[in-house]
Amino acid sequence: MEKKVLLSAKEVEVQFQVRSRVLTAIRRVSLDLLEDETIAIVGESGSGKSVFTKTFTGMLDTNGKVTHGEILFEGEDLLKIKNDQGWEKIRGKKIATVFQDPMTSLNPVKTIGSQISEVIIKHQGKSKEEAKKMAVELMERVGIANAAERYDEYPFMYSGGMRQRIVIAIALACRPKILICDEPTTALDVTIQAQIVQLIKDLSQEYGFTTVYITHDLGVVANVADKVAVMYAGQIVEYGTVEEIFYDPRHPYTWGLLSSLPQLGIKGEDLYAIPGTPPSLFDVIQGDAFAPRNPYAMKIDFEEEPPMFQISETHFAKTWLLDPRAPKVEPPKAIRNLHERILQMIRPEGGYYGGE
Amino acid sequence: MKQYILGRVIRSVLSVMAVVSIVILMVYLMIPQSKVFKNDSILIKLAGKPDEIAVYKNTKLEDLGYLDFVQQQDLCRLSEDYDRCMEAGSAASQELKAEYEKKGYVFEEFTNGLLYATRSYLPHELVLNFFANFIQIDSPNQVIDDDNPDLERKIYIEKDYNGVPAIQCSGCNYQYLVYFDSSFPFIHQNWITLNFGISYPTYSGLDTWDVISSGQGELDTREVVYETGQTGTTAMNLHACQYKPSATIDHLDQNKFNSNYANCANNYKSPSMINMSYIIGGLGLLLAYLISIPAGIYMARKKDQWPDKLGTVYINFMIAVPSLAFIFFARQIGYALGLPDKFPQYGFTDLRSYVMPVIVLALLSTASLMIWTRRYMVDQSNSDYVKFAKAKGLSQKEIFNRHILRNAIIPIVQGIPSSIILCISGSVITESVFSIPGMGKMLPDAIKANNISMVITLTFIFTALSVFALLIGDLLITKIDPRIKLSSKGGSR
Repeated sequence: MEKKVLLSAKEVEVQFQVRSRVLTAIRRVSLDLLEDETIAIVGESGSGKSVFTKTFTGMLDTNGKVTHGEILFEGEDLLKIKNDQGWEKIRGKKIATVFQDPMTSLNPVKTIGSQISEVIIKHQGKSKEEAKKMAVELMERVGIANAAERYDEYPFMYSGGMRQRIVIAIALACRPKILICDEPTTALDVTIQAQIVQLIKDLSQEYGFTTVYITHDLGVVANVADKVAVMYAGQIVEYGTVEEIFYDPRHPYTWGLLSSLPQLGIKGEDLYAIPGTPPSLFDVIQGDAFAPRNPYAMKIDFEEEPPMFQISETHFAKTWLLDPRAPKVEPPKAIRNLHERILQMIRPEGGYYGGE
Repeated sequence: MKQYILGRVIRSVLSVMAVVSIVILMVYLMIPQSKVFKNDSILIKLAGKPDEIAVYKNTKLEDLGYLDFVQQQDLCRLSEDYDRCMEAGSAASQELKAEYEKKGYVFEEFTNGLLYATRSYLPHELVLNFFANFIQIDSPNQVIDDDNPDLERKIYIEKDYNGVPAIQCSGCNYQYLVYFDSSFPFIHQNWITLNFGISYPTYSGLDTWDVISSGQGELDTREVVYETGQTGTTAMNLHACQYKPSATIDHLDQNKFNSNYANCANNYKSPSMINMSYIIGGLGLLLAYLISIPAGIYMARKKDQWPDKLGTVYINFMIAVPSLAFIFFARQIGYALGLPDKFPQYGFTDLRSYVMPVIVLALLSTASLMIWTRRYMVDQSNSDYVKFAKAKGLSQKEIFNRHILRNAIIPIVQGIPSSIILCISGSVITESVFSIPGMGKMLPDAIKANNISMVITLTFIFTALSVFALLIGDLLITKIDPRIKLSSKGGSR
């Protein structure tokens, strides 16, 4: 079944001005978001996951700028939008974002209800009464009991998990096409994480939106994602369906990432850690950014940047190991035959046990 | 909540009492008594009459509450034979002397050999005496007048000379206990009065509270119809009449009044010192908030852009320039524009008198208000909820007005009652420069003149107002910040 491309980022480059130095946070990244699919962007801190998705809604910090590329959405190049008025038609209405910390995402001195209905009034032009009715329905849909009574309560009267439900309700209030979840469960405890992930999954099927997960948590990825993009040093280094990434990873960085998963570790053995640190993005990177940490690095890795090699119709990886001239390298033993152990992370009915 | 407020009020009253007690002890014990008479011209007239000086000084000190003063005639009234006792060195007086010396009195002799004695109050007596006489509640048994044995003793409701019902009293100090009239706050009372003592040496003999709260300047005369039906032009406030002993009632009084309540306070054209400071301070404050809060918000919205930088230059300028220099500078500008440089030039009825003092007072407080407003706004703009509000698709204006301002205004609102109420204390420098007859100079002047009653009065007023302003500020933020609940026990909500 061929799905329609909803949003297409092409060759996006983002630079930040940091005390008169230029930091290139995103280095020519291309990515297509398809309709009704869930894509997870994984990678270590500082790899550019959040920054990349912020370009979809023009939410970069004031010292950041998209210096190259285009983002096509509904026939329009989002990067051509220059002012906030233009973005207001996209943000919240077409592309919504859920942030990491529900404890601080809501305004502490405004009622829960007013914070939900304000988006409905703004984007759908409803009256106050209609907005309230819709907001109460949304609150019920995200699992708030006695929604009508709790409409006039303040965020401090809600628990963390309930606040994240409200944040999701606000994000979905205008039926966006894309929901960006920027580490939506990091600040929550494990059982609540599972509930929130499940809620987003259910709602995405019901409302039919594309979900972009930004996460460190490969457990979440295995459970909810259709596609996975692995980011390293401002680039997508491997991209494929969740099965391809977990069962047939090709990039040495993906191998390292999977090997260091505690859930996939083998009892009694030391947990694997990728040696070294990511490169400084202030400098121009010569060759493959992962080369200095890569035990399989070849001479060419230090000299020339690898192209994106296509492995299957949906699977791409950016490593010289896929070049026909490269020696055949087997992935590390720890991540071979991940099938069973990954299945343990996922409940048969599709539920999720949570990370750790 | 109610319990919390009650607790706070009790604690506030106790802290005010503590402060006043400390000040009482300081002024009575640490200022040498000799300083009290430093500038008294009466003493110069009495030079060479040591007996009269002794009587004058000790009577004054007794009035001021320093000591208890007794003369031989006071002692001899206790004796069986007054006339024999009153002879110098009489046996009876010697007996009483011995008795009083045991109580701590120190005896001295007049030049004619008669005795007088003084006993300085102990520290705790000074404080207790003040608070014992502090609150005075008028009652029908207040008046003691041997010449008027038929005086009725009752509280009753009857129409006053304007035909408006009022609570009146016969036998009280005041005729009208509660009455209504057309001047703010429309309902007035004389029932409970606070007794702060007598002002001396400045405003000598007047009640300190009257000094600061009664009108100033020329008498305000009007046509009135007296109780007897006689008409006349007078400045008397017929609602503020006190009992006049029968012995002093004269023919004129009898023409105007049916009763002995003929000792009336006057109406004045200019407002009292408190009101003067209040009018100018209040207007200045209003202007300061009207300027600073929008300016601070605008600076925060345009952070690091030229409006913000311009505002910062202004704030730096206002903080760096000494306020005295600024006031004189502004006054000169006002003078050049044809505005008076002294308040009394046109008086309080002319709007021009107010322009420059109000502007100066407002501008002086804009710098700090602006810097805090901007700072609270900027702090809040970096919050996560602002990021989320942006992601919701709200415009920057909506985010500022609906989200950030609600949070940033909380600490500012808390300070508003204090600022309003403390206008009453006046502004020392501004009022001096413009010669405004307000409260500003009262405390420094009172300290300079050793006017101990006035120092205690002002201390009480300022402390009480500050403490209660804080309480009102705290109550106010519970209205705008739902997270704050007042509770006498921590932890519950």
